[in-house]
Amino acid sequence: MARAFDYAQAEEVRDVFAKEGVRYLFIGKSGAVLLGFPDTTQDVDVFLDSSEENAVQAVDALRQLGFELSDEEAAEVACGKHFVQLKNGPFDLDLIFAADGIESFDQAWARHVDVEGFPVCHLDDMIASKQAANRATDKESLPRLIAFRDYWLRHCKKA
Amino acid sequence: MDCELPSKKQLREWEREFDAAARRPLRQRFRYSFIRTYKPVLDDAHFRAFETTRDYRAWCERELPSWLGYGASV
Repeated sequence: MARAFDYAQAEEVRDVFAKEGVRYLFIGKSGAVLLGFPDTTQDVDVFLDSSEENAVQAVDALRQLGFELSDEEAAEVACGKHFVQLKNGPFDLDLIFAADGIESFDQAWARHVDVEGFPVCHLDDMIASKQAANRATDKESLPRLIAFRDYWLRHCKKA
Repeated sequence: MDCELPSKKQLREWEREFDAAARRPLRQRFRYSFIRTYKPVLDDAHFRAFETTRDYRAWCERELPSWLGYGASV
């Protein structure tokens, strides 16, 4: 079993994805944590531009990060599957090429927030995505995430 | 989606938690936030790819224990 995601690994994702020109955003609770949301999570979710070129660059970057992708698996990532779960690397990672509740990557990118060089989805998009996914776990966590969005807009966004 | 509205007392408590988190550096927030425990079925394959997000949600609903919370209800 992979270990919990840590800051050094996040830096590595940021640096390798930047080097390979991968267009992505942290999303989900991992994205909210980057924005300051105090909660626990096991998942690291990244929302990627679904162009074939970006998916191919993502495969190269993932291999450099230590994900052991067979050629068959790499082809599945590159061919435009909307959701890919990776548990074959240094940490568990979900690749999302079509996020629930978000019209397009470009629209999410236009609203994104930069935290220490980490590109993160806007909290409005994270909330819209969780509302659309409608999972039991999201129903439980959404009121606190919405309260955090309101807090963040008042205190942090202006900083 | 139906969400329970928090009470004023709950909101004040959350705001105190948000204030405390805002004082911590990002590296420390990471240490407190990312955890790892085994999740049955979900963790039993090293790679899964779904044609659409809808397919993934349907798979979660069908295959995962409901208590994991990945389906619409527990």
